[in-house]
Order: sequence, then structure tokens, then C-alpha cells
Amino acid sequence: MTDRHEEVHEHDDMSVVVTPINLILFVLFIFIVYMKLRPTPPTTYPTRKPTVFRTFTPRTLLPFNGIGDTPVYLSVNGRVFDVSAGRNFYGPGGPYANFAGKDASRGLACGSFDESMLTKDLDGPLDTLQDLGTEEMDALKGWEEKFQEKYIVVGKLVPVGSAEAEAPRR
Amino acid sequence: MAGDTIVQKIDTHLMELFEGWNIYTTAFVIVIATLLLFPLFLWHQPDTHPLLLARQASVSPVRQPGESAVYRSPETPDGYPLRTGLGVKEPGAPKWSSGKNGDLRDVWRQTTRGALDDAGEPTGKTGSILTVLGKERIIEHRLEEVSREINIIGQYIRQHNGQRVAIYLPNSIEFLTTVFATAFYGITPILIPYRQSVEDLVHTLKITKPDFLMSAAGGLPLTEVVRFYGGLKQVVWVVEEGSRHMDWNEVPEGIGGQAGVGVWHEIVEEKKATVGSTIPDNAENETLKNLITIWHGRKDDVGEVVEFTQKNLVAAIAGIISSLPPNQRLNPSDLLLPVESLAMVYPLALTFAALYSGASVVLNSATSQKSDLDLATRSVSPTIIVASAEIAAKSVNKTRSEMTMGWHKLVHWFETRALTVSGRMPVASIFTAIFDYVRPALGEQPGKLRLLFVPERANSDCPVLDPADLSDLRAFTGARVVYALTAARVAGAVTQTSIYDYRAEDARKGKHGHFGVPLSCVEVKVIDTSSHKTTDEGDPMGEVGVWNFSQLRN
Repeated sequence: MTDRHEEVHEHDDMSVVVTPINLILFVLFIFIVYMKLRPTPPTTYPTRKPTVFRTFTPRTLLPFNGIGDTPVYLSVNGRVFDVSAGRNFYGPGGPYANFAGKDASRGLACGSFDESMLTKDLDGPLDTLQDLGTEEMDALKGWEEKFQEKYIVVGKLVPVGSAEAEAPRR
Repeated sequence: MAGDTIVQKIDTHLMELFEGWNIYTTAFVIVIATLLLFPLFLWHQPDTHPLLLARQASVSPVRQPGESAVYRSPETPDGYPLRTGLGVKEPGAPKWSSGKNGDLRDVWRQTTRGALDDAGEPTGKTGSILTVLGKERIIEHRLEEVSREINIIGQYIRQHNGQRVAIYLPNSIEFLTTVFATAFYGITPILIPYRQSVEDLVHTLKITKPDFLMSAAGGLPLTEVVRFYGGLKQVVWVVEEGSRHMDWNEVPEGIGGQAGVGVWHEIVEEKKATVGSTIPDNAENETLKNLITIWHGRKDDVGEVVEFTQKNLVAAIAGIISSLPPNQRLNPSDLLLPVESLAMVYPLALTFAALYSGASVVLNSATSQKSDLDLATRSVSPTIIVASAEIAAKSVNKTRSEMTMGWHKLVHWFETRALTVSGRMPVASIFTAIFDYVRPALGEQPGKLRLLFVPERANSDCPVLDPADLSDLRAFTGARVVYALTAARVAGAVTQTSIYDYRAEDARKGKHGHFGVPLSCVEVKVIDTSSHKTTDEGDPMGEVGVWNFSQLRN
């Protein structure tokens, strides 16, 4: 008799706890605990892959003229600058577009953007700028400093056929 | 209308639902409300922005073939000059002047002059240097007297034509005094880690060739040492107070005519009246002597001799000082306790950084690789400790093994969550106090410790502290932990974790997590080796190379 009585009592207890509203609240409780304890993905900081420093010849520099998706490079005094940040000026259609992918030293020194300022023979020696006066060389130095402040150096320019150009890539 | 019936239906359903309301429902509601409302009151901001922690080192945009990009501290990113020195300014110098790099002498001058305020004017508040003797006694050394001893010892070494002084002493005021004396009097100090076997010591002496030796009385068998190494001209014993009644001046038999013997406290006593406490000025065009240390990688290594220039040292000291955010810098209210031999360059640089910043330093000669944190801090309450990875690992493991009760684990779980999820130091409360008796007992007044520097030695048998160990170390000690990567040929550290960096996401048991960013005086790049290459995909791998100011140039 006593056994049976307890069973009934227990059953009553269960039906008191398990009511629809209690069930709803219980699910809500589980959900809140889950939201609090679920692992959060770690914060990441966007990084850019560094560009590898390269040795360019006038010929291998040529493709970096900003046409399509290529970056815009130009060379000043043997240093190759990545001027993609100034694409509006140096990229296709910009006022300095002639310099993209070229040795811009003479043009910058003389303050002229003409095509005549560029070295025609891509396979020949680099422009030594021997014939320029001090005024032009000062102007070039000014440009070089400005470039160093604004843009990054991604390589150097050597003539085709020189030892460095031929040296096997490490 | 149809609308009415829907509303009525909903109404009756709701009525039915709420008819089930009982005491358990009320309990549920209270629990849920607490769960939602409690964090609103207890919410704390993380100690720093998560993005700042994710950023880490500043990376150069261009890399050389065969190498990774150059990694630098965000304080001195690519294109800016690395930190070269302390920026020492003479009192009264214009605020905008840049100051000179300085050297170890400037560290001591700054110590005696006291901390500077924001405007660069001396506040007149000087730190102090304390020594713990035995269990209870603490001696405070007057800086003026230390300056006098620097003069006395420097002059004594010069009188005996000492050029290279081997310092074979435990952490003590005499150790620091001798290092500063060598700096002021143009002598080369050689720091030899204390407590070595006679063979190792003789080997070290043979390759470093000192002509002068400072040692603790009874710390080495002189007759034996002199028999194997004949280059010593003079030996000075540093005698503990309790042993001063003995005659230490006696020259052991068999070495007569080779080396003389002096006793530190007698030398000081004799010259006290005649030698002033004004430290010498810098002479013009003098060449500063290098500081020579011995790097022990593995236990069976004989030790690598590493020579640091004064430039290396000041760059390292400056790098360590500026690596902490401004409101956490070493300051005059700090008390630093090195629980690691000062013959190691990282604890030494940190001690100099503390002195330069006007903080106080407490020295305990009983500290060695084998000591533990509880013991070393028994009678003092340091705010900053530098302890080797061995000692830190020991402390963590000891506390873990004592965490036997369920509530220990519960408190620990909450503290770890505060650190790794909320990004803040756990707050001490009544709730966490039930855990206190298993925590490492650090200092007379617990809770004073704010910073723990733990140097890891690259390429050594140093135990690995994985991110979980470091997180536990923070939770157990209640102090922020800076984990530093040190290397043989780099003064100070290569990189240090940010003091706000509690992340333990990339935790792999027994593997290093990360070491934070390079100090502002170095740049780091990874160089290809035959087996590891940097590619454009994945993380750079290879040999880690470190360049510049706190590093030696060959």
C-alpha cells in the first residue's frame, strides 16, 4: 500500500514541474547558458603578404604598368617603387602613365612626361643621366626622397645581360 | 470576425499556459533573470582592445628572397629608427631635446638622482636597494654609501692593476656595486653564474681570462682554482656578516706570490673616511668596456661567452622600459625582486630598468634556479618579480597539485574565463578567497605583486610554459605575466608578450604559444634553412635572426 501511495505522489510532483510554461523557460535557460559558454572565434587582424624584393631589368619591369590588375611600378635611379597607391597619377590614363613600368629618372629630373624621356632600347644599358646638370639632378633627388616617404621600394633595376640580372634567383 | 477568434484562441492558449505557473516556474524566472542581469552589474571592460592584441608585430611590406619580412615592435615600425638608448638628458636640458643613448653610468646617476616627473624634472624621490638576509632581516642600503663603495672598489681594482674582473657572486649589493664600479672605472666585468662546479668555473676562467676575482667567502676552493688557472692577480672575498670574525686575509698555502687576497668589508672600512661618494664624471673620448656574460643553454653545456657593448645594454634597458604601456611602466612605487641570477643578462637589464625608473630593488642571495617563489618572497612584498621559467613552472605545478577540492576547480574555472574569454584580470572577491590558501604565497602582503617577468631561453633545456600554464600562472598569482624570449647573443629580450595578453587560444599541451612582439630595439626576421623555407603561403618558418641595437655585431 505504502509503495503505491508514494508512486502516486511522485507522479504528482513530476506533473507539477513539467508544465508547458516550465518547459519553455527551461529551453530558454539552456539557450542562454549555451550563448554564454559557446566558444567565440578569436579576433584576427588582417595581414597582407609581403612582396618579395626583386631584381628587375627594363624588360621584366615593363608588365607592371597598371593595365588590368597589375600593380604600378616605376624606377627612379635604379630603385623600383610600387606606386600603386598613386594609381590615379601613374596608372593607365593618368598624367604620368608614360612612366608606369619604365625607368622614370630622366623624365622626373627634367620635369617632362614625354615619351622621348624614356630609354628606347630596353635591352641596352641603363640611362646614366651623365648629361644632366646639377639643377636636374637636384630635382631628381627631391623626387626620390618624396617617393621614399610615400611608396615602398620593391626591387632594383639592372640592365639586361648584367651579372645581377643573370644571377640565378635564390 | 475571424480576427477575433484568433485573438481569442491565443488568449485562451496563454491562459492555459499560465495556469501551469507554480513555485518551480518562479524559481526558473529568478534564475534566468539573474543570469541575464548579473553580468550587467559585473561587466568589466577587457584590459585592452582585442584588435590591439591580434595586431602584434608590425610587418615590413617587402621581404628579401630567402627571408621572411622584417618584424618589429609597433613602437618603431618599418621605416622608423630602432630604439638605441635611454635618451638621457642632463637636468635642465630643454624638454624637446632628444637626449643621448647613455651607458651603465647613467643608470646609476639616474638612480641617485631619483625619478623624473612628466616634465623631466627630478622629483627627488629616489628608490632604494634592499637586501634580504635569512628569514627576517632586511637591510636598506643608502644610495650615498653605495656610491662611496663604487668609488672605493673601483679605485681598489685600479690600484691593483685589474683589467678584467670576474664577478662570481650571488645576487647581492656587492654584485651591483662591482658592476657599476667597473663601468665608472673603465674595467671589464665578467659575470659568471654563481654555484658552478670547480671544473666549469676553471674552464670559464680560462676562456674569459680575468685577472681579478670577486667571490663570496667560502664560495670556491681558491687553492684548487689557482692551481688550474694562474692568471689571477687578486681575489676579493665578500664576507657575510656572521663570518666576519674569521681571518679571510690569509693567503691559502700553495698560491703564495701568485695572487693576493683582500676582504670587501675591510677594504671599505679602511677607505670610508677618505673616499667621497661623488661618482666620477665621464671623461672625454673614453672607450667604454664591454660586459661579458656566460650563456648556459643546456645543463651539460660549458657555456658560451657573450660580450655585450654598453650600447647593446642601454638599448635593451630602454626597450624593456618602453615595452610596457605608460600606465603600467616601472615607477617609484615598484619593488623589483629578481628570483633569477643577475649574471643572466635579462634579469640584469630588468634590474637596471627598475633602477633607472626610480623603482626599488630587493636582492635575495638565496635565489637560484632551484629556489621557489614562495621562499624567495618570504619576508618582502615585491610588486614585480623576474623569475626563470623553471621557477614559474614549478610554482604552477605545485598549486595545480594542491587544487584537490571541487570548489578550487570552480573558482579556477571562473578566473580562467575572466582571463581568456573576457580579457581581464580576475577580481579578488570573497568568492575567490576560498581559493587563497592553495595559491602561491607571494610576499608578506599578498596581492601586492602586479607583474611577473618570465624569461625563456631559446635553444636551451628551459621548461616550456604553454598558454595554459601562463594563464594558470596569472590566475594563481593574480599578477600579469610577461613571457619573454631571450637568446644568447641578444641583450635583454628578443620579444615579450604584451602584459594585457591573456589569450590561450592556440593552446597545445607542452608547446609554446607565442612570444609577443619584438622589443623596440630589435628587428626580427626568419631566414630560410635547408629544411624550412619562407613561402608566400603559410607562416614563415626557418631560423630566427635578430638585428640590431641590443644585439652583438660580429
